[in-house]
Amino acid sequence: MAEEKTTLRSVGRPRSVDAAQASLALLLNLVRTGAATTRQELERRSELGRAVVADRLATMIELGLLKEGELGQATGGRAPRQMRFRQDAGSLLVSAIDQSSIALGIADLNGQLLVEHHEAAQLDAGPEAILDRLATIFDWLLRETEKPAPWGIGLALPGPIEKPAADFETVPVLQTIQSWQGFPFLERLSMRFGVPIFARSGVQTMTMGEAKAGGGRGLSDIIYVKLGRSISAGLISEGRLHRGAQGAAGMIGHSRVGDELLEAVAGADAIAREGMAAAEDGRSPYLTQTLARQGELSVVDIGHAAQLGDLFCVELLGRCGRLVGEALAPLTNLVNPSLIVIGGVVAESGGDSLLAGIREAVYRQSHPMVSRDLQIVRSQMGASSGLVGAAQVVVEELFAPATLQGWIGLGSPLRHPEFQKRLERMMASVEAKAAPPAGRVAP
Amino acid sequence: MNIKIPGQTPGDTAMTIAGLGPHGERAVPADQLQLTETNAAEVRARRFSVAVILHTTTSDWSKQELAGIAATLGLYSAALVEVVDCNFDVNLQVAALERLAREPVDAVISIPIGNARVAEAHRALTQSGRKLVLLDNAPTGLLPGTDYASVVSTDNFGLGQSCAAMLSAHIPQGGAAGILGYGIDFFATHEREIAFRKWMGTNRPDVTLVRERFADLDGAGPAALTMVEKTPGLSGIFAVWDVPAMKAVRVLAQHGIDLPITTVDLGNDVALDMARHGMIKGVGAQLPHDQGSAAARVTLAALLGLPVPPWVALAGREVTPSDVIEAYQVIWHLPAPKAIIDSVRAATAAQDAVGED
Repeated sequence: MAEEKTTLRSVGRPRSVDAAQASLALLLNLVRTGAATTRQELERRSELGRAVVADRLATMIELGLLKEGELGQATGGRAPRQMRFRQDAGSLLVSAIDQSSIALGIADLNGQLLVEHHEAAQLDAGPEAILDRLATIFDWLLRETEKPAPWGIGLALPGPIEKPAADFETVPVLQTIQSWQGFPFLERLSMRFGVPIFARSGVQTMTMGEAKAGGGRGLSDIIYVKLGRSISAGLISEGRLHRGAQGAAGMIGHSRVGDELLEAVAGADAIAREGMAAAEDGRSPYLTQTLARQGELSVVDIGHAAQLGDLFCVELLGRCGRLVGEALAPLTNLVNPSLIVIGGVVAESGGDSLLAGIREAVYRQSHPMVSRDLQIVRSQMGASSGLVGAAQVVVEELFAPATLQGWIGLGSPLRHPEFQKRLERMMASVEAKAAPPAGRVAP
Repeated sequence: MNIKIPGQTPGDTAMTIAGLGPHGERAVPADQLQLTETNAAEVRARRFSVAVILHTTTSDWSKQELAGIAATLGLYSAALVEVVDCNFDVNLQVAALERLAREPVDAVISIPIGNARVAEAHRALTQSGRKLVLLDNAPTGLLPGTDYASVVSTDNFGLGQSCAAMLSAHIPQGGAAGILGYGIDFFATHEREIAFRKWMGTNRPDVTLVRERFADLDGAGPAALTMVEKTPGLSGIFAVWDVPAMKAVRVLAQHGIDLPITTVDLGNDVALDMARHGMIKGVGAQLPHDQGSAAARVTLAALLGLPVPPWVALAGREVTPSDVIEAYQVIWHLPAPKAIIDSVRAATAAQDAVGED
């Protein structure tokens, strides 16, 4: 059985030239990650001979994946020419879909975000409407900003995402968006642009984004907590994202507070509901005024009120912070992170009282060794972290050595034989569904 | 045709904030940001100095933005010590930021020209210890708190939607509308165009959209003409701001073409054209004086070390030919020029005469 799986997974991958593909992949990743950039360093790190390195580099320059850059540091004799990865050989489309907003961006092949756009959107509008919106804006951004053609799509979705069984396979159902079940969202988006698609949960991409470009830059152990309508956490431990057996790690909103779920007492909806009650019965003069002016209240107003010193809101957010902190403390003791980043709409607007509540509970309940250098900060990236993380997901997938070996000789992941087969199969299956059932058409 | 909208009172046309911030932030309305008496006293005692970097200082928008900044800073005993005019030149902006990072200013208010090319210089300014408040846009990759204090902007998304709604009235069923877009990677004009397209797609799916771009202002007129020539049956144009809109008006008029146009910002030329019932049929206007004032308050709050929201936004205001005088007063904090008032009167008189016939 295991034998059969291995064979299946290697379908379409050239075998006779495995060694050449492997050396190409190894050298590309060394240059791309900056681990080695001169020929001398590459020879040393790859343990390949000079002639082989020269041949492989020439091949990759011809394929448009590498270019020769500026002169490096001389170590006696002539200064060596540095090799550079062509991060503009293609682009990555990234999107983060949330309950009430969508974010889209284009990144280069290093995962660096080049352009981004955020707008309000309602998930209730249905998958067709969201799909159409994503395609329209991606088309527009690609054309207007004149970015290179895409090589892949990274998508962040609300709720956990299952791990696919094989490379380039799309996950079948969107578990958390009930009304989307059975709709081939990922397949349709992948086919629309003719590129592979990789999906993760929103909180996982945000965790990766914070680790790459936010507060967690350069750190190997961080926890990211998303405080929105739902509450969830992402974990990077020893430099790797922890996804769990089913890809559903981090559902801390489901821990119990008394008889209730944490997200039911400390989520954005709960906070807005309490704020509304206080506005109506006059416990918060600021919220009463805001409600009278706007006719509605959101968690953003409550956060703003707290920043202006409204006592009710300060206490409300402080209490939510402590509840979240109590759920986080055991996690903190378990994984010993150096940083906890708090993000999501509640954190964005929640201000200092929320953060103070979280700190109070986490520091009180953590082992002194665990809390000694632990920092708890608010995210500065907002929804951009989801985009940066989604780009990182695609980079890691496309350049994973096993996948990279499958396409590097062909110059682009779009020519990967396994992806091409997958694309054909997706087209066939979607067309089959769309076509009227054969043989049963009334005469 | 004089369009009168029953029940609409001038001054009641402020829009709600539709767009999200550069990192998806929910907007904090600018009028909610005020300094308390205690904060104000501390600010006055500390006598801060602030510099401003603008893409240009010659446009109506820039003059009012500066007036708002200067008046508000002055109110709190903060000195506006320098105003840099970049003349749309990225290199001038980078040089100015690098210089100000070494000079004795406490804060800089800047409108980033373009995206990636100015990001690093803005980041370096903050790293030099100065507070940085951005107008309209944050270059991709810069983070609030670390790289800048806050972005203060008009709701450009809302302006684009508003222009679509106003132009829609002039596009017949199944007709075509044109977009005169800016060919430079600039957040504010992008947002307007995306919003315009979204509104049309949702509310007028029957309308075909065509687009021409211009990279510099002199290209705007020819681009509009190209669009008209290429698209038979084009019934209206949305221009992403007022200056290119007026370039289009002039070139089209020279060719004897009369087309409804909507645009963003109530510049003097646009206001006069509307007053004369010319091609400009509607404007989604920013309120630059108010925006400047908000930017000054955010800057002072940041200098005091107070937490400031990363995205502070102002709603725009819709202007139609019927309320151009009143709108002018609200937007520019000035009486409308005599030429505009005379034109409105002449147009009204002409219409009344037609009505009496």
